[in-house]
Amino acid sequence: MSRLLDQPPFAPRDDAGFLAEMNLLSRFHLDGCLEYRRIWPDWSPATDIAGLPFLHVGLFKRLLLRTTSDTVQHRRTLTSSATTGSSPSQIVLDQKSSVLQAQSSLAILREMVGPEMRPLIVLDDARSLHRRSVTARVAAAMSLKPLASEIHFVLDESVQPPIVRWDAVREILLHHNDLLVYGFTSILWQSWTSGQFPAEVRGLLAGKRIHFVHSGGWKKLESLSVTRETFDARLLEGLSDGSHVVDYYGLVEQVGIIYPLCEHGYRHVPRWAGIVVRDPWTMEPLANTEGLLQSMNVLAYGAPYHNVLTEDLGRLVPGECSCGRAGRRFELLGRAPQVEVRGCANV
Amino acid sequence: MSEHLHYFSTDMRRWAVTLPFDLDAVIGQWDQLRAVMVRHMPEAFNRDEWAYLITFLDPHNLERPFLQAFGRREALAESSINGSIDSLARPRGPVAVWLPNNVSLLGPLMLVLVSLTGNRVRLKAGSQAEDLTGALLDFARAHLPSGPLAAFLDDCVQLERFDRDDPRNREMAKGAAVRVMFGSDESIAAIDALEHIPGGGAIAFSDRRSEVWMETSQLHQDTLKILIKVFAIYGRAGCTSPSRVVLLNGRREEAVALRDRLLELWPYAVRNDMPIHVASENIMARQWAAALGWDAELAPRNSVMVAAGTPGLSPVAGLMSLLVVPATVEQAVQTLPANIQTIGYALERPGDPRWLQILAPTSAKRFVPLAQMHHFGPLWDGYDYWRQLFEIVEIA
Repeated sequence: MSRLLDQPPFAPRDDAGFLAEMNLLSRFHLDGCLEYRRIWPDWSPATDIAGLPFLHVGLFKRLLLRTTSDTVQHRRTLTSSATTGSSPSQIVLDQKSSVLQAQSSLAILREMVGPEMRPLIVLDDARSLHRRSVTARVAAAMSLKPLASEIHFVLDESVQPPIVRWDAVREILLHHNDLLVYGFTSILWQSWTSGQFPAEVRGLLAGKRIHFVHSGGWKKLESLSVTRETFDARLLEGLSDGSHVVDYYGLVEQVGIIYPLCEHGYRHVPRWAGIVVRDPWTMEPLANTEGLLQSMNVLAYGAPYHNVLTEDLGRLVPGECSCGRAGRRFELLGRAPQVEVRGCANV
Repeated sequence: MSEHLHYFSTDMRRWAVTLPFDLDAVIGQWDQLRAVMVRHMPEAFNRDEWAYLITFLDPHNLERPFLQAFGRREALAESSINGSIDSLARPRGPVAVWLPNNVSLLGPLMLVLVSLTGNRVRLKAGSQAEDLTGALLDFARAHLPSGPLAAFLDDCVQLERFDRDDPRNREMAKGAAVRVMFGSDESIAAIDALEHIPGGGAIAFSDRRSEVWMETSQLHQDTLKILIKVFAIYGRAGCTSPSRVVLLNGRREEAVALRDRLLELWPYAVRNDMPIHVASENIMARQWAAALGWDAELAPRNSVMVAAGTPGLSPVAGLMSLLVVPATVEQAVQTLPANIQTIGYALERPGDPRWLQILAPTSAKRFVPLAQMHHFGPLWDGYDYWRQLFEIVEIA
């Protein structure tokens, strides 16, 4: 277990403690995972976090990695939502890490939405819970479970396109004034702002206090020309002043770590996580220019997904944030642009 | 357009080929266009592609399909024809061509070759890719003076962009005497299932893989630079690009040494940075290869991943990932992919008949010098497809 989790996520950082734990964790995975060892055969403990041995996020789509140890009990596999034509990432979960990851995401979310318990509406289908592997969507929703007095899955995916069970939403709104709503960004937009939202149910929203939590990215919304301002304004229409929209960045390959957007537009790094931005062509760490984001944490034991080079672009932002959170902060600038591949075959 | 007869002969047969134009005039007009091409390049093309097109339009190259199909050219006088012709070849009828989404020069090259046959042609370009066929067509229409080729391109060539669900796919299939289909096995099956003329021609070019066979005696710097150039054009997205280099009768240390030389030469042969997502994918590919037991390294600036290993290791995919394996000839043959298309070679004695014996039981469709791996022509994927664009009339 990590001592770093003993304090709030955005309390002053213990960089030396974080590096020491990451060095130990990296050694643990090198000893227990042949593939990881083959990738980093000559690694020796790092003197800064940029020197820690990372894995490219795409590797988890190609290999089912696993760290073997007497202290690790592997459980289910977490899968990402695959884009068309690509395979999903697969992350082998384990008992010990799951406890840490739940503790981590709860601490971060509590910091953003407050500690009080309230009903949680999940824009997903309850049947997703019973599949053998856990999807990223369900894992994200369930990270809010400790803040939920009750959970309601309100999406019906037995029909295409999926529909919201508005009768269920109506029942919840009739009995509660303070709610949490979780959905993938695009699903939340499509369902909550669509013309199918019954007027009666919409009427029941008036004056309620709702925290919307969403993740999954803006790609689909960009194609619909929906800005963050429009998105937030539409969701908060008619609600009480205490309502908020929380957009967080997270990866299946970094389960347990989420980077919510603060009220000043930055993403903050919890004290048990680290962010490095790298030049895509040299892999040099970058101080405050745009590059590939690398995310790391001390929570992952079942497989070496503790330190992952992503395909997302970002920039570290120097200085202290007006929101008051300590530690590093960064801007997420979206996916690395894809250019057309010419040829005549499928790679 | 009036019919023009052209005469050819082999030792066995004398041919009359009828075309709706004078062949020499059409070839001459393509040649005229080359002069303009040297000075102007449409934005859609890169320099390598444009240079290859200019070379491809050389009159000798454009005459070659006729010579291969019908024999040497004959300048026969009308009086000497009577009774001496064995076969008449005439354009078979409308040709429909489905180009894949990530096609590069195949579209323009196919357009040029079909234009020589006099068949009407309807091409479907990919709905998501940059349309090089359209770019060439626009360029030719804008710069060609009036003449038979300009008239043919205006009147007989139809190019459209639409997706796989568009009803125009049905129209194309239904109206074509010959269907030429490029694409994945799935997309070809879907096109083939559309209603078409019974007995009509069907030519399918599906997913293919290619590789290089080199002997250790041929690892000269110039040869390695050619290998880099050939690979760098499309990476592994080209069906004619090598995904693996087989070092014949080499050892693993020699494969590692070859990997290091390729990585060292790469920056001199390829000067531009890869796009970010390709650089990123190369990092992934190196890790993937290393995890599977390959000796994998990246070139400076993450521009390519080259891995040395053995033929038995699980392969690694990636746009700019090249695998080097030492193997005996027998191992090379045994580990050829089922969909092998081109083997590009760097051999000491490529003309040795033993290579024919080695190739005979394989599925390889082309065995060509390394530098010619991407060369497109009237023979492709094992088909003499260009000749099939003609109908043959027996004359006795």
